[in-house]
Amino acid sequence: MMDGSIVPWLVTGIPLLGALLCLAVWSNPGRLKASAVLVSIVSLGANVGLSGSLPTLPEGLLLLYLLPIAAGVSLLGQPLHRDHRPSWIMTVVFLGLGLGVLTNPNLAGRIFLLALFGSLIVLLYRHHTALWPISWWGIGTYGFGALCVGISVVASPPLSAITTLLACAILLPLMPFHNGYLTALTRLPGSLPTFIVLLLPAVGLHGVATVIPTVPETVAWIVGLSALAGSLYGAIKALAQSRVRLLLAYGSLSFFSMLWWFITATKTATVHVVVFVGAVGLVTSGLLLAWQVIRTRYGDDVDPQAISGLAFTMPRYAVLLSLLALAAMGLPPFGVYAGFMGLLLTSSLSSSVGVFVLLIAWLTASWYIMQMVQQLLFGARRSDLRYTDLLRTELAALLIVVLVLLALGVAPPKLFGPQKTAPSSSATVESTAWNT
Amino acid sequence: MILVPLFPLLAALIVAIGSDGSRQTRARLAAWPIGAAFCGAVVTLYFVATHGPITIRFYDPASPASIALPIGFHFDRLSAVMMVLISAVGTIIYVYSLSYMYQDPHERRYLSLIGFTTFVLLCMVSSANLVMLFVFWQFLSYLLYVLAHNHAHAATLTGAYRTFTLLRVGDIAFLAGIVLAYSLYGTLEFPTLFAKAIATPVTLSLLPGWEINGATAVTLLLFIGGMSKSAQFPMHIWLPRSLYAPTPVHALLHAGIINAGGFLINRLAPLFGLSSTTLHVAFVVGTMTAILGATMMLAQNDIKKTLGFSTIGQMGYMIMECGLGAFSLAVFHLIAHGLFKATVFLNCGNVIHKARQEPHFPHIDHQEEEGGFSRLTWLTGFMTTLFIPLLILLGTHGVLRIPLLESQGTVIFLFFIWITSSQAILTLMRLRAVASWKVSAAMLLTLLFVVFVYLFAVASFTAFLYPDPQEVASYFQAAALPNWLFDMIILMATLMTIAGWTYLYMRTHGRTVWTPAWVEGFRTRLYVLFMNRLYADELYQLLGDAVMRVVHRFDKRKQGWSQ
Repeated sequence: MMDGSIVPWLVTGIPLLGALLCLAVWSNPGRLKASAVLVSIVSLGANVGLSGSLPTLPEGLLLLYLLPIAAGVSLLGQPLHRDHRPSWIMTVVFLGLGLGVLTNPNLAGRIFLLALFGSLIVLLYRHHTALWPISWWGIGTYGFGALCVGISVVASPPLSAITTLLACAILLPLMPFHNGYLTALTRLPGSLPTFIVLLLPAVGLHGVATVIPTVPETVAWIVGLSALAGSLYGAIKALAQSRVRLLLAYGSLSFFSMLWWFITATKTATVHVVVFVGAVGLVTSGLLLAWQVIRTRYGDDVDPQAISGLAFTMPRYAVLLSLLALAAMGLPPFGVYAGFMGLLLTSSLSSSVGVFVLLIAWLTASWYIMQMVQQLLFGARRSDLRYTDLLRTELAALLIVVLVLLALGVAPPKLFGPQKTAPSSSATVESTAWNT
Repeated sequence: MILVPLFPLLAALIVAIGSDGSRQTRARLAAWPIGAAFCGAVVTLYFVATHGPITIRFYDPASPASIALPIGFHFDRLSAVMMVLISAVGTIIYVYSLSYMYQDPHERRYLSLIGFTTFVLLCMVSSANLVMLFVFWQFLSYLLYVLAHNHAHAATLTGAYRTFTLLRVGDIAFLAGIVLAYSLYGTLEFPTLFAKAIATPVTLSLLPGWEINGATAVTLLLFIGGMSKSAQFPMHIWLPRSLYAPTPVHALLHAGIINAGGFLINRLAPLFGLSSTTLHVAFVVGTMTAILGATMMLAQNDIKKTLGFSTIGQMGYMIMECGLGAFSLAVFHLIAHGLFKATVFLNCGNVIHKARQEPHFPHIDHQEEEGGFSRLTWLTGFMTTLFIPLLILLGTHGVLRIPLLESQGTVIFLFFIWITSSQAILTLMRLRAVASWKVSAAMLLTLLFVVFVYLFAVASFTAFLYPDPQEVASYFQAAALPNWLFDMIILMATLMTIAGWTYLYMRTHGRTVWTPAWVEGFRTRLYVLFMNRLYADELYQLLGDAVMRVVHRFDKRKQGWSQ
């Protein structure tokens, strides 16, 4: 029988060690990519195999399974190119750091979190250009996040709880601390954006689930208000975007803000919260991967309106993108829908205005996602473009994402973690006040 | 019984999966599972009629964990009747489409979508709870989007996008209704939900001093969802815009999908029966849709658009019936309309095909018959429309034992029958002015026969669907209008019919009906307005543009990311 204290280090160590081993095949991009994917698979196997010996996590074990899957598909969906090698290695490193934060309690977890923030700052600085001055805001935000983590280590409650919450608001993006998330998603190269779109919110949720019961009521109220504003802000900004990565970044900001509102309303991280975070992260990752397919073929900053008629010419791509779009719009039977419905129905929601705002943001997602998909898939076929349907690795990556999203939607939630109960939502009273 | 909804899914998979070489064979093979679904639906109807309802759940209704996707089926008389209708229409349309879509590049997609849509509709009508109904309700929204558009046709794409966005508005209202229902009553299982709603009246305080009944709030939100699917004014604009789809798709759309609103109200009849306000709103919305839909239909010059607006009018009629508390009548209506419209649309496809193949079709070389005036025919029509309502009232009250005095809804509905039959006779007279007492007598007897058979069928159907007469009476009572309004509606219906006949008499005698100049001008403007479908599309376009302008202005305020 393995010692329980070693298991988190083992789970963390496998990807980090794997990243080191991958360096041995640095000169061969094909083997490097295959090795990185293999490390993700081994990590997933280890997480599943060692799940019984891991410490109890407040959010359950689902995210431990989803992170290696997300890392694997992010790597799998990338084109073979020498320039992408650093991003592949860093994806595996980030996987290790993320698992380290999730599985190691107390100080070790904080150190891994500081390492994660530090890596992000370095990467953003390295990919900073004068044409994109706004990325300084992202670097600053992550610097602030690292500072918050540092303070939370030395400070006593309630300051430690509030600083932890601030660090979480940077990871699981919450307005006005969302600049880091937007920068990371739009500026980082290769497979990194498609992985960190799940990694950062997962790590953030872990922190929130730990700290939210101790947060003062006033702070929770302010966070709830900010979450409502953020969900509308994200939706409106997404509606205005013509660039796909920005659209997806703002769209996911809107969805994660919804989650913040539910968490502050119930002060618990139920299994539906975890399903929602996992599903939103994964579907955004899938859509970024799908966009990566277009970028690989037609250039880095191609206008989606310039590409049309893919439903005819790339049928496999069209089917998978349509399914991902359905999931992203919150249609059944995918995980985003299951998570949202679970949150809506099992949380004690006292504000009708809050529910109304969330539903508006939810509705808006149908517009901007559908608009994006329609621009790409439908319309007249362009005779001046060369069309190549999905390659095997791209197909596998997108298919895995769709299947996992489907599993998150249809599998019984008890499979994903212990059943925590949010305060009951039923009310059978003579008079109910439903105003804010 | 569970296999009944699954058979069309099997058919869709047979068509969708496989090589191009075996496409035709697979398409023909897939007709059998859909036909089997129809046979299964008939057996289900017989079974539930003789043995009572059956519920099959694949989840624990007491566990909140399984609330997001609780798969379960509830087969009762209502769901079985709907299943027979959907599977019958689905089978006919599929078999028709085999030849209609033959060699079309989109054949595989459309045939599999027809199978999948039939599957979704069957699952929706046999849902055991509100969440499952909502799941398939949303599927329908997306299916309408994919069914109604041709990939390479720009106008179709715009129309399909608008259809989807508008339907999603209804979906969100539906979702809000579900959330509110669950928060008030703690369950979404149909029987428990109804029992709790009846047992625990809840009052909600939306704003200080403004309270609303819980059942009213829930049903109003759900009704908005129903309005979007059943193309009720002002959410009707998606239906005419979806007319680019192949004709068999229209047949399915008009015979199955669009009935979702009427089905929803019937499924939740005990809940809707608790709220007079919602029923009155439904009556107003339905009446407006019926009148506007029928009027816009008259002003269209395209066969498909004419049929589309006719459907909108009929859906308005159906919702109006629900608003009057005549829930079973609405189901009867939607069945009759579904079968009728499916036939008309399929025939419409034939006509269009024929017109494309034969340059001289439709024939334009024959002279239109001159309509002469026949006093006898006119008198017959006039007497018919004056006395038939009286006969109907006596007949329904005495023979069918429908409690007319207690149910205003039935009376209003009968008056609508009166107006409709008058319209039919007026049309008949305009087309064929035959001065023969035989024709007149035949017309009179036929009309009487049709109306009585219809009423008898409706009464029998009501007894079949809602065996408890008390329940039926309670719905009528819940929908009762204020007396002054009731009297006004009856008076207006009477005046409209008599005025119509008088106008016709004077016109056919060559007499000038004096009207002020402004009325003439107004009539012309009204015609243009209805011909342009009340400019509803343009108004929605303006609204969308205004929203996007605000969104872009908001986006520009924050420098950086979008620059």
